[in-house]
Amino acid sequence: MVPFEYYVALSGLLMVLGFIGVIIRKNIIAMLLSTELMLNAVNIAFVAFDMKLHDVVGQVFVFFILTIAAAEAAIGLGLIMAIYRMKKDVDVEKLTELKG
Amino acid sequence: MGASQMELSAVAFWVLSTIAVVSAIGVVFFRNIVYAVLSLISTLIAISGLFFNLGAELVGALQILIYAVAIVVFYVLVISTVPQYKGQAIDPKYTLLSLPFGFILFLELAYVSIYGLWASNKGIFSPDIFTKISNVKAVASLLFTKYLFPFEVASLILLVAMIGAILLGRKDIVEDEEGGQ
Repeated sequence: MVPFEYYVALSGLLMVLGFIGVIIRKNIIAMLLSTELMLNAVNIAFVAFDMKLHDVVGQVFVFFILTIAAAEAAIGLGLIMAIYRMKKDVDVEKLTELKG
Repeated sequence: MGASQMELSAVAFWVLSTIAVVSAIGVVFFRNIVYAVLSLISTLIAISGLFFNLGAELVGALQILIYAVAIVVFYVLVISTVPQYKGQAIDPKYTLLSLPFGFILFLELAYVSIYGLWASNKGIFSPDIFTKISNVKAVASLLFTKYLFPFEVASLILLVAMIGAILLGRKDIVEDEEGGQ
């Protein structure tokens, strides 16, 4: 078997990639895509720790994360469509009404 | 359980994880958002293969069904509504800044992982048990007993999210008012 540390390292790598994506992308849709990457990294870590610790609770939590990700995608993309209808733009640099 | 089977597991891990990481880099750095979504599908399917490789069949199947089909369809729908993004894909101001922060995040994750493993107890679901009952049965037995209340709350969250998405996604309210007058 592959040592479970490799899975955790892969999870960390995907998490960091998603984090970098959230920071450097200026398109709201691309930022949401990077968030999906981070959620998937957490899923991998949950399942890998399950296999190491001989448990299935992590897989139950992966189930809940999938549910929350579906809700988050529906609401987030609905908001993006509403923002686009108002502002005709999805660039975070141009959506600065709340900037003090 | 021969040596060849273990070898196959290692090969599957390296191939799938390489696909996952390369596609994830594509998700972050593709200028065209359609390519980014296609890369995300590739990442999600590779991660699902990793779940199967780890022996978590239920989660792997749900990953394909919910993530790679349902959630990605949301993105494709929104991309078809919001036209092509024309500006710069990546802000060079933040590119250099993101690397040290990403490294710090990685170190913190490594510390928490190692410390958490050291501090945790072993569960009862050893590999011997999975020769008797399936992974699906083990997960479902826990989901419908100990975690039944969170399961019901999750269904409520989905209902609320659906109503919210319908409200947010409908046509302009202004048009409705004009129609009423």
